[in-house]
Amino acid sequence: MEMLGLYPVFYVPNFGSAWLMGLTGTIHILASHTSVGAGMLFAFLAHKAYKEDRPELYDYMKRYGMFLLIFSYVIGSITGPGIWYTATAASPRGISALIHNFVWVWATEWVFFIYEVIGVFALVYFIDKIDRKTHLKLTYTFAIASVGTLALIIGIISFMMWPGNDAFYNTGSASDAFFGMNTFPHMFLRIGFMIMMSGIIGMIISSAMKKDNAALSKELTQKMGIVSLLGGFVTMFFFMWYIMTLPANASAILALPSNSGIILQRIILAILFSVYFLVAIFKPQWISRTLAIVMLFVIGISGVWPGEKLRESMRKPYVAGQYIYSNNIIARDVPGKGIKSEVPILAAKGFLKVDPWVPERLRTITPENKLEVGEMLTKRACSNCHSLETNGKYRPMATLIATKLPGKDAATINNYMKNVIGTGAVSYMPKIALPDEEYDAMAAWMATQVK
Amino acid sequence: MDATLINLMKDPAGVPFFPVVFQGLYILTWALHAAFVLLALGAFGLSLYGSTKQKTDSNWKIFNPHLIMTGKFSVSMLILLGIAPLLFTQVIYDSGWYVANTLSGAWVFIFIYSLITGYMMFYWYAAANKKGKSGNTIIGLISFAILVFCGILMHNFAVESISPTKWMEWYAPNGVINNSGFNFHIDIIRLAFMVSLTIPVVGIFMQNYSDFLSTRKDFSSEYLTFVKNLGTKLAVVGLLISAVLFVVWMLKEGLLLNPVVLATIVSVVVLLLLAMRNKNSYVTTGILVVVALFISGVRELVRYNIMSGLGYDLYGYHMNLEIETITMFLLTFVILGFTGIAFILTMAWKVGKREGVFDASKDVAVTKLANATLAIFILWTAVYFAWGIVALFKNTL
Repeated sequence: MEMLGLYPVFYVPNFGSAWLMGLTGTIHILASHTSVGAGMLFAFLAHKAYKEDRPELYDYMKRYGMFLLIFSYVIGSITGPGIWYTATAASPRGISALIHNFVWVWATEWVFFIYEVIGVFALVYFIDKIDRKTHLKLTYTFAIASVGTLALIIGIISFMMWPGNDAFYNTGSASDAFFGMNTFPHMFLRIGFMIMMSGIIGMIISSAMKKDNAALSKELTQKMGIVSLLGGFVTMFFFMWYIMTLPANASAILALPSNSGIILQRIILAILFSVYFLVAIFKPQWISRTLAIVMLFVIGISGVWPGEKLRESMRKPYVAGQYIYSNNIIARDVPGKGIKSEVPILAAKGFLKVDPWVPERLRTITPENKLEVGEMLTKRACSNCHSLETNGKYRPMATLIATKLPGKDAATINNYMKNVIGTGAVSYMPKIALPDEEYDAMAAWMATQVK
Repeated sequence: MDATLINLMKDPAGVPFFPVVFQGLYILTWALHAAFVLLALGAFGLSLYGSTKQKTDSNWKIFNPHLIMTGKFSVSMLILLGIAPLLFTQVIYDSGWYVANTLSGAWVFIFIYSLITGYMMFYWYAAANKKGKSGNTIIGLISFAILVFCGILMHNFAVESISPTKWMEWYAPNGVINNSGFNFHIDIIRLAFMVSLTIPVVGIFMQNYSDFLSTRKDFSSEYLTFVKNLGTKLAVVGLLISAVLFVVWMLKEGLLLNPVVLATIVSVVVLLLLAMRNKNSYVTTGILVVVALFISGVRELVRYNIMSGLGYDLYGYHMNLEIETITMFLLTFVILGFTGIAFILTMAWKVGKREGVFDASKDVAVTKLANATLAIFILWTAVYFAWGIVALFKNTL
């Protein structure tokens, strides 16, 4: 019997599984981007301290470094592999595709990461224990290693959006997959954000130094304001370039009415953040540690979470390289790797015959097991993007059916599944072509969830 | 689950290099990862005892902050070094690893956030201990318990990944699918053996610590002897416990007479003798590394036997050779990695060996390594951008 190499489905009731990765990813971005930004900032500060003979800047770097060790290197280094873990639980074949294409790139990043983590301990704990010239060299290499980790991961996450052209599909080469047309704009967009984050964290440290050294606190808060503003400008500039390098399906999602406010929201946020940075530059005494911490979370929650959610949405219906659907079905042939699309097999035979994880008693639909089969199939085909139950929270399928499909009954759902989803008519939804009896079971179960 | 289906779950993209190379890299990097897991838990666990003694015992007062610092750094290293085996296992044993992660998806999520909580509490414990605040032992105990729990969860994933015959039963007990991701299964003997290794590892570390600081005038010989003797006791007793548990585990797996297992036992006996003699702890550590590699090899042997016994064809994994990226990895690993790490470790060794500020700019070796590291980083960056631009032009123009 012909089977597909599918994995068990992990599903969190009312939420789905994708949000686990989104949450971990957002936390990781805050922590890891701060650490890379701080790497660049440290190089700048160490250079200044060495050339201008300003020992007080080393004290600032030490405080910043201790904060960084906990904020970035505890949280960042755990959530980095944490993204792998949670992505594995949610999209095993998606992460598998990335691993099998880019394992040597990841292994190279690991070398940089080792240098970065050992380097940050040396950089912080040896500030008072080695001469400044050698410390400066250590700081420079730490900065390059930090940016190097970005340079190595960026091609992989850009490939998740799309390879940029057809070369990869024909050659199967990791190099062609890695250097797509949005790799570099994506890289510089993130570098801008990293610089901004390093300034935002820097303000927390500098504002806490008011009691010890008010003049230094003021000077550094001003500098961090300038750094943040510069980073924000770089982010905005490259965001516009990045948007122009997206594939057609991503642009279609961006143009959806439900996303119409996103660009406007980004502009409003940019203005608000700029006001905060300008206050730091012109009225540094107004920046207290509490305000700086609050602003870190405001920027994190209002800036990173929606941004990452949008990036994840724009990838739809794919999860990696525009050849794996978000429901883990292979969507197209990749001749360079000898990969075949699984869509025609599913259309001909259905999940019940080719999914190795279907219990034997559910392989044949009966009146008694129809709803149970329908629930199983819906989880397999839809739960990576949607929560499924009546009170679902994350892209709730029941609510979407209730609002968009007049009638809300099994026959209407069946008709939509077969003629819209089954034909691939919606650009951001996977083409889920199945035998009629499977649509029937899915629609019957979905109808039980709609209010 | 039969062989056809386990083989079917192999990634259709194939592996980018010979599977045996990934297998070797897995054994090597898991051994490094495990060494720091054991040192972290051993140092942390012992520091909890130390925190109850340090108020009345001058030796513990000096030693305990060092143990905590060692544990703190080791947790960072274990995370860092854990990435590589995690990467390589997903390449060649993807079916097992991904099934385990989906069957235990909820535990995966809990693992990540428990590890963050446990490690942050470790920093809290370290800070509280430094300031001599009461209650630091309680914080430490909670942190330690969370980190041990994380270790048990990792063990759960490993056990599930090598149990293909039970996968379907765990996913759909009695034919009813359970998507909750709360599967939890442990192998108590294997787990006890791994945990027991924390004792000899911290013991041998203490012998190293004592030898390393013997050139420093600010540490008394009485103190260093105290640490070394305690380390020897822990190493010997711990190795005896570990050896018994290892034999029981191997009997259970039916591998006791396997040549790799016999070689492991011989290496443990050599390690025990060296730890007891206590002459040169650096040699002892060298043998400890060999033992760690053997244990990693035995783990892989257990997995390979189970999977190949069920028909999993590891060496027949479809291959799509990747030349460009493996070249990048090898050059980066050997040239940049070795030079860079040599720079930091040489500097750290020399800083630790003396009191006050170390003027590394007057040290020829450190200066050469620093300059070489910086130059290699700059060259690497230039090659990266040149490669990217060429690839982009080739594919888009």
